[in-house]
Amino acid sequence: MKYYFLALGTLVVVCVGCAADGQQVIKKGEYHAPPAAMMQRPGPMVDGPGPGVLPMLAPPPMSAYAARTSQVRFVGPAGMKVGWQVAEGYAENQLTAPGRYNFNQGATYRLKLSHIPGRSIPALYPSLQVYPSHPTTDAYLSHNSIPLEITPEDLDQVESNNFVTKVIYLPDEKFQELAIAGVETLVSTRLDPGVDPVAEADRRGTIMAVLRMGNMDLEMPSGDGGSETVSQVSYDGDAGAHMAPMPIPGEMIGVASGVPVPTMMGGMGAPGQPAYNPIAGMGPTPAWGMPMTGTPIGLPGPPHIPLGGPASLKSHTIRNVSKTNLPKPVDHFLVDVKQDPAPSLPKPVKYVQYSESHPVHSPGQVSYPRTMAPGPGY
Amino acid sequence: MTLIVFVMDVPTAWSQQMIGGRQYNSGNQFYHPLNQRTPPGVAGQWASMSGQVQPGYIQPMKFSLPSKGNLTFYAGGPDQAIQKSSPASIGFGVGYVYRVKISGMPEFPGVELYPTIELIDRLHPPAGLAEQYPIPVSFTAEDIELVLSGRMVTKVVYLERPQTAVPAQFDRQPTQTITAQKNLIAEADLLGRPMLILRMGGRLPSTVGEDPAFFGNGAPVVELNSPAVKN
Repeated sequence: MKYYFLALGTLVVVCVGCAADGQQVIKKGEYHAPPAAMMQRPGPMVDGPGPGVLPMLAPPPMSAYAARTSQVRFVGPAGMKVGWQVAEGYAENQLTAPGRYNFNQGATYRLKLSHIPGRSIPALYPSLQVYPSHPTTDAYLSHNSIPLEITPEDLDQVESNNFVTKVIYLPDEKFQELAIAGVETLVSTRLDPGVDPVAEADRRGTIMAVLRMGNMDLEMPSGDGGSETVSQVSYDGDAGAHMAPMPIPGEMIGVASGVPVPTMMGGMGAPGQPAYNPIAGMGPTPAWGMPMTGTPIGLPGPPHIPLGGPASLKSHTIRNVSKTNLPKPVDHFLVDVKQDPAPSLPKPVKYVQYSESHPVHSPGQVSYPRTMAPGPGY
Repeated sequence: MTLIVFVMDVPTAWSQQMIGGRQYNSGNQFYHPLNQRTPPGVAGQWASMSGQVQPGYIQPMKFSLPSKGNLTFYAGGPDQAIQKSSPASIGFGVGYVYRVKISGMPEFPGVELYPTIELIDRLHPPAGLAEQYPIPVSFTAEDIELVLSGRMVTKVVYLERPQTAVPAQFDRQPTQTITAQKNLIAEADLLGRPMLILRMGGRLPSTVGEDPAFFGNGAPVVELNSPAVKN
């Protein structure tokens, strides 16, 4: 009987050994990324962003015929005033809907929508992201404006404390139902929950502009009382003062935002002066351990009473009667750390073979108009 | 031969045809570098670089509006505008993109549109008769209504092949429409010789700080014998 169990056990071990190479038993086929901080900084002396978050080394080349501005047409509601952020604050009433303006591409602007008819909203401050021209949208943008309409539904959503994202895009050919090209608008509030309107529009075509709108008041006095920033310069379009919009800093599309410098540094010095690095005991920085009181026991109080009389204190003794238990300092310290699940990454790649295949069209496979076909000159 | 504005319903089963020693094809198995979405100027530049057409050749054009109205051509920018009444004749250089303003149409009061014309080929009329054979460009009421509804209209005017030309006299320029999935330029090339690309949308020049390139890049505009009014 025991030979039977021995044979059965051997068979089970052999079968399991053939089915699993050991990795599955230990790792269960799972990989767990290290914390984000470790991913961002791979290790000592290798600082900087890790793979996958590398900024673009150079901006993509611009098309030789690319339109440099996109004309945004504020369709409605009719009578709404459109302003935008400038260097000194907000330029008010620059446009009245329906109106249009040419925005530089590849930038984000902060708009100010006010005097919305039929609404008690004082002002809305949406951001308008104007995408760069793309070869598929270049012809459209150089001939058409981008229609942007704030619908009553959008305003209802904003008043209900919701966030509205409108994406205006030019659909690809396969998504165009009509023969004549026209833009389409995706609104976040009309999509299913969890669907990103920007990603969805990017899937269907080429994005030309994105409007994000909430009900935050950006010109509200700050809460610390009396520190309200008062702009000394005002631009009111109704009074004839027009000012070009200023893109929001750091929001340039197509240009990766700068990664913060990881090294902790002191502040910059004045022009011509060295940088300010706080060192205890030097300059305005107090020395470390300097008592802040005048009494020898470290507590605030008059050193001798009555004030102005002769000194009477002959002795001042402090005895510590606490039952202290101060063991010897540790000379070797051991910490056992266990993380569950522990970081587990696949083996690093040490060999890459990259082969690229481009379509090659022989003269008999390429069809040009006769004007552009290779051949003898005119 | 008739100059036809593109295009039509093409049978789904296409085939190659050998006509006049040239292979005509527009089936899906061929690669077509140009289409109606190609950025403005590329086709004209390629035509100039190919050597098949004389770059800068002044090709007479004849523009017409639905009924009456004005056409404005920009020789070097908004300051050098040439305004003419419809139908208007003008000479454009091959290989350039031109911005044209249409206005004063009684069917569309107050409407101003700024289409572009990209001239990619020329006609070969008998010597001395070039002005009698202009390339006709017509802006129809349907086109303008589509543009006013926020859409973009792209047309290709082509010269039909003499071997397959329809032996009939047309009262107006024949125009056919194809679906957006098809390649407008390839279809026009299948049926003849594309002459120009007309793009029309609703973008207007800004009253403050319009990009000068909106009105063109200084391409030559030559006045013909049609009466003109200079601004």
